[in-house]
Amino acid sequence: MWIKHNRRLLAKVLLLLVILVIGGVTVSGCYGRSQPRGWSGAVIADDTLFLASVEGRLVGLNKSDGSRLWPVDSTLGISESGTAIYGTPAVAEDLVYVGGYNGRVYAVTFSTGALRWVYPREGNLEPIVGGVVVSQGMVYFGCSDGKVYALDAITGDRVWQSFETGDKIWSTPVIDGDTLYISSFDKKLYALDANTGSEKWVFAEAKGAIASTPLVYENTVYIGSFDRYLYAVDTTNGSLRWRSEVEVDKWFWAKPVVYNNVIYAPNLDGKVYILDANSGREVAGAVELDSPSPISSDPVVVDGKVIIASQEGKIYSLDTSNNQVGLLRNVGDDGQEIYAPLCASDGAVYIHAQSSKQDTLYALNAQTGVEVWRPVSLSSK
Amino acid sequence: MLELWSSGPVALMLNTLIALSSYLFGSFGLTIVVLTIIIRGAMYPLTVKQLRATRAMQALQPKIAELQKKYAKDKQRLAQEQMKLYKESGVSPAGCAVPMLIQMPIWIALFQSIIRVLAVTPEDLLGLSRHLWSWPVVYSMLPLDNNFLWFNLVSPDLPLAILVGATMWLTQKMVTPTTTDPQQRSQSQLMLWMMPLMFGFIAMSVPSGLALYWAASNVISIVIQYFVLGGWGGLARAGAGKYVVPSSKDIKVRVAEAETAPSISAMEADIVDTGSTEEEESGYGGAGDKRQLGGGGYPASLREFKSRSRRSKGHRPKRR
Repeated sequence: MWIKHNRRLLAKVLLLLVILVIGGVTVSGCYGRSQPRGWSGAVIADDTLFLASVEGRLVGLNKSDGSRLWPVDSTLGISESGTAIYGTPAVAEDLVYVGGYNGRVYAVTFSTGALRWVYPREGNLEPIVGGVVVSQGMVYFGCSDGKVYALDAITGDRVWQSFETGDKIWSTPVIDGDTLYISSFDKKLYALDANTGSEKWVFAEAKGAIASTPLVYENTVYIGSFDRYLYAVDTTNGSLRWRSEVEVDKWFWAKPVVYNNVIYAPNLDGKVYILDANSGREVAGAVELDSPSPISSDPVVVDGKVIIASQEGKIYSLDTSNNQVGLLRNVGDDGQEIYAPLCASDGAVYIHAQSSKQDTLYALNAQTGVEVWRPVSLSSK
Repeated sequence: MLELWSSGPVALMLNTLIALSSYLFGSFGLTIVVLTIIIRGAMYPLTVKQLRATRAMQALQPKIAELQKKYAKDKQRLAQEQMKLYKESGVSPAGCAVPMLIQMPIWIALFQSIIRVLAVTPEDLLGLSRHLWSWPVVYSMLPLDNNFLWFNLVSPDLPLAILVGATMWLTQKMVTPTTTDPQQRSQSQLMLWMMPLMFGFIAMSVPSGLALYWAASNVISIVIQYFVLGGWGGLARAGAGKYVVPSSKDIKVRVAEAETAPSISAMEADIVDTGSTEEEESGYGGAGDKRQLGGGGYPASLREFKSRSRRSKGHRPKRR
């Protein structure tokens, strides 16, 4: 009876609900923010290779043939949906450590993939984008809450009160002796006492945020910034040694590498800048890739060759003797892209490539580009 | 095409947003508000044109309703009569839509720029770097400070979502026409509630930066409408009296009176009131103004506009 009398009203309410749902779904779906997917690089320990898949699982592979170490990839105790993992795992003793975008750090048993501990035990921190490092029984990592954390590697308990920077930390800390170097989006590079977390010095001359991981070489920290300069900083007191003079178009995102006192710094403008480590002057003109694509993946040096991967999935070899660059392999033909840091061992380079449909690890001979073993799918499906 | 759009209007808006933030203490929230004001200011003439055209169309509604009743069974004749009415009144239905269509790409570019600059995930930030121009200020400003007032611009915020819905309701209410046609009134009411609810609902699931843009845009709309319409429009009428739906006989009588009144120009007859007590007490000329009999349904500002419009076309509408 009521329905009969209020049919018109019901129709209006129904129409309103339909419009609300359609409008909401349309606008929410179209507003263009991407979901975090992760781009973990690989780490090698005891002839075993560890990395996180795009599904957020920790994968262990035998370095010799790419076969799985564990019957089932470690889910890190997370539900089916997993979490994005951007940082490269770290290995020490019998544990593998990895930080997740869900704001938690996981320690997994090397031999079985079983979860040993999680930090924090309850709740979570802000997203963790950089990798973790392990040194002298401690696990260090930076977080998007701007803090640097130090945990006991065995128990996962916090060792010192977190050191706070002025903005997000997306880079991986670097340990050199008893000093921890870490960069922040607050445009500063910090040197901390790794044992206590106390500040040794701060380098604050950069004019842009710093997302790249520092390179420590010969008492100097090399760091690239969003202000499009590369800085060389004295490790003893944090003073500026030099700032690159070369004009670049985009941000420095990837960690530079050094070989024979020459810095090779990739940039998001798709070029690799070659600078003298002592003076910062250009040793040779910037190396341009055959098809310009941003370089956000950390390069590696293998037998005098700098191996570089562009976002569009092309892997190049830059000969340090003559600074000539050649295409080693293209894995981007089927839409795969490369964001993850490269990893090298025994003349082979390991490349994590991904697309919306694929998640693959390639093992290539760094000299020839020939596959060491067939590409391994990291997907569990 | 999509690439052209991204590298053109979106890139321009995006880089302007970032550069502007350097003069606004690096606050992205403040930048969104200021850029919204600047763009709305730049498009003020178009907005005014659209508002006036809409008002003129609304003012013709009683006459159109009468035509619809008169030629209910002859659609072709109805269309002809409607066109004739528009022509005589100097009102173009496209006058409402064209300014809005011109503004649409600008809104979309601003909308997309805000989303991109609010890069939250590493993928977003890397993607943003592709759209940046080589202005030193652009590179050094990123990433921008996402905190503004009580909320984080990248996360949804309930109070802000409510503010979006409330300001949108006010905006809609100001321009909702008074109508004696129950069907039209029903549609107006649906629109009045549907848009605020929809945007409030969406604002609860998108970054607050977008919600801030919507809220700022709504407030600016309210201010513009206040000055262009010469008052609070529908808001002032809201509590002015109980709505009385006139009968069709009543409409015919009143329209006939209006058509035969010798002292009333054709244009004024076109927009004569159809008997709403609500409208009699408000009008767009100012809240609570009593209308003069035969003075037309237009507020003073709109009558002036209509007169100018007709003069500019160099003709006077035919008397009936």
